[in-house]
Amino acid sequence: MCHQTVSLIANYLEANGIPTVVMGCAKDIVEYCGVPRFLYCDFPLGCPCGRPNDPVSQAAALDLALRLLESAPAPRTTVQLPVRWSDNPDWKRTFFNVKEMSAEEFERVREHELSWRKPPR
Amino acid sequence: MPTEGFELTFAADHDVPVCYIDRSREYYLAMGFSKPYVWTHLAEVPFAPLGKPLSQASVTVVTTAAPIEPGKGDQGPGAPMNRAPAFQKIYSAPTDDPPALGISHVHYDRDNTSGEDQRAFMPLPALVDAATTGRVGAVAPRFHGVPTRYSHRVTTKKDGPELLERLREDNTDVAILAAI
Repeated sequence: MCHQTVSLIANYLEANGIPTVVMGCAKDIVEYCGVPRFLYCDFPLGCPCGRPNDPVSQAAALDLALRLLESAPAPRTTVQLPVRWSDNPDWKRTFFNVKEMSAEEFERVREHELSWRKPPR
Repeated sequence: MPTEGFELTFAADHDVPVCYIDRSREYYLAMGFSKPYVWTHLAEVPFAPLGKPLSQASVTVVTTAAPIEPGKGDQGPGAPMNRAPAFQKIYSAPTDDPPALGISHVHYDRDNTSGEDQRAFMPLPALVDAATTGRVGAVAPRFHGVPTRYSHRVTTKKDGPELLERLREDNTDVAILAAI
């Protein structure tokens, strides 16, 4: 939901004359909404600005975002940070993936979700 | 003509951008939420060219991270989902003395990262470095937090105008938005 929020804000600012760049990890949400400029990090949600404890990748992400601000030729321009999170892509399997949960984990997560909001009837 | 010695490196089939829209739809359906969320899909996207070189521009950061506040439960690295620090109004804070920020109030990938290093989700320190070297003209006096909302109407009708006003008060030229 954060990705949609900042995407909408980017559109609002841009329509009012302020250039923007969105840094994020949820490519589908940002591109489905549509933004002027998008620096995509193919990292787990929570790391839109580089790898944790890796100042080199963080500086590279900001530098690419700034270059995108300068060089994007049109709206909906996406550039991907050329840094891999890991040689093993299995981290992509787990987030919000009910197919990867054990029955026990599913019940724990479900109980937590229902603890703060109820499904509509 | 191929470069001598160049070899293609192939990726695994599942090494593609995660489809969070599909994941969240299936997740909430399984949890008992039968009505899927309608994600925003815009027909037109505006585009504002830079009005001046970045080396002369005042740049700010917009984030959905929340200031860490005592008395609001565990907000530290790897904290479980904690709604208490979530904020409902835009906040602004000085860029020369920023508060510690946390992301415990939002869904992020707790299996693979912890929120321990603020620089991984908040580009302000890197932006300060960029200003020091002259890559950007200046860091704006304030950065801004926007509430994560389900309602695109409230984001665009309420938060957008309020944020724009704050950016104009600070004579901000450019905004970098980081999504958690």
